[in-house]
Amino acid sequence: MRPTGLLLIIVTLLLMASGAAWGRAVQLRQESMESLGLNQAVTAGLGLTDLCIATEARYTRHPSISDPMAPFMDHPFAIEHFPTGSFWAVPSHIIRVEKFGGKQ
Amino acid sequence: MTPILERHLNLLDYALTSLWRRRLKNAGIMMVFAAVIFLVASFQMLTRGLIDVSEKILTEVPDIVIQKMSAGRQEAIPLDYRERLDDIFGILKVVPRIWGYYFDETNGANYTVMALELDAMPASSQLGRAVIGEVPSNNLNGGIVLGQTVLGNLHLGGRRTFSLFRPDLSLKPLRVVGEFNPATEIMTADLILMSLADGRDLFDMPPEVVTDYCIYVANPAEVGTIARKIAARLPDTRVLTKPQIQKTYQVIFGWRSGFASICLLTALVAFAILAWDKASGLSPEEKREIGILKVIGWQTSDILALRFWESLVVSGLAFLVGCLGAYGHVLFFSGSLFRPILLGWSVIHPSLTIIPVIGGDDLLLIFTFTVVPYMAATVIPAWRSSIVPPEAAIK
Repeated sequence: MRPTGLLLIIVTLLLMASGAAWGRAVQLRQESMESLGLNQAVTAGLGLTDLCIATEARYTRHPSISDPMAPFMDHPFAIEHFPTGSFWAVPSHIIRVEKFGGKQ
Repeated sequence: MTPILERHLNLLDYALTSLWRRRLKNAGIMMVFAAVIFLVASFQMLTRGLIDVSEKILTEVPDIVIQKMSAGRQEAIPLDYRERLDDIFGILKVVPRIWGYYFDETNGANYTVMALELDAMPASSQLGRAVIGEVPSNNLNGGIVLGQTVLGNLHLGGRRTFSLFRPDLSLKPLRVVGEFNPATEIMTADLILMSLADGRDLFDMPPEVVTDYCIYVANPAEVGTIARKIAARLPDTRVLTKPQIQKTYQVIFGWRSGFASICLLTALVAFAILAWDKASGLSPEEKREIGILKVIGWQTSDILALRFWESLVVSGLAFLVGCLGAYGHVLFFSGSLFRPILLGWSVIHPSLTIIPVIGGDDLLLIFTFTVVPYMAATVIPAWRSSIVPPEAAIK
């Protein structure tokens, strides 16, 4: 067999594996439709605003409704000390005055 | 088969045998390259997966949330503020809530305690679908619903009653009347739901204040206008609208986050080392090989085509392996390598099922930032060597 034929087999195998993984993702997405409905129900029923990803600090548990001082409020000149806060960017509405004039 | 195709197939054959001759070095380069692509692609797939989930679920967040601010900090909002919103036309409902965090000293976990009169919520009838058991009534009776992770953390066993501490360290007896469906972990893992009266009792809050208000409006197009009116009417409050809340996760996992910086800087440094190695020139053996090829009749264009195929095979295979690995990493392992970054010092680890999301634009972006510069970095030194007279190259 020519070396090109061998390369073709390797590429085909990789593409087949990609196709299988993609197929599994499509299947999981269909299965997740029910859980999506339940999550929407609990969000609507309780007025939840954030995903439960990091629970170490209140501004990472609820980043969308935290105030901008929350990471630095322990004492004057306090620095932020929770790891996830360093890795996530600050939501723009937390640090910018919006058009409707809400206090920040 | 056309002569051009035949020529390139032969060149590809030669390129593959040439790569195989230096297989240890090329395999090393391919592995590093694949790891770099894996890192960038994993970040993109994981964050887009999370953003996708947040976009779908957060369609149901309150239209407006208002919080009272004092000295830059959020504080309890008086209940009589509700009366000052009565004559704003378009407001459908104003729902007061008490919520906060409870630090469990026995295991170091933070729970989110949510207390409200469920009947007051416009979509309260839907909640029953997501709860196994009952939902708490509006009375002060200690009935609570727990998220699955909280339930596991409390180690209740068969018991349905337990106590939490009030601020004065007296015990507040609670009774588990239901639990959130495990499928809602991404929203409720750390949640304890109770009635407004129970929440007030647990946090020892005065009867005239609550934590915040959820406001629902009749016409979604008027959210901005109503928010502006509320902000003018209650100048000491912070007004957050549904579109702002919905945008949050697009921003926190965006390209400007520290998470992205780590992935991109690591990839950039690894790639710069690779490119520097390539751009610094060919090894004497490689130069001699080019000289010999030119002596036996190869043109400069043939040598460039050969190097093009070599670098395309290395970078293309690394791209395929890296992207496939990243897809599997997110799909089958929920991005476990990135979990420490996502969770930090959190004690509660919600079971996240993240379905990777990747578009053609993402793949093109990753391809353009990795494969194309690598090919350029490989072909240019080959061109410089191939224009040297062959007798000089094989000396």
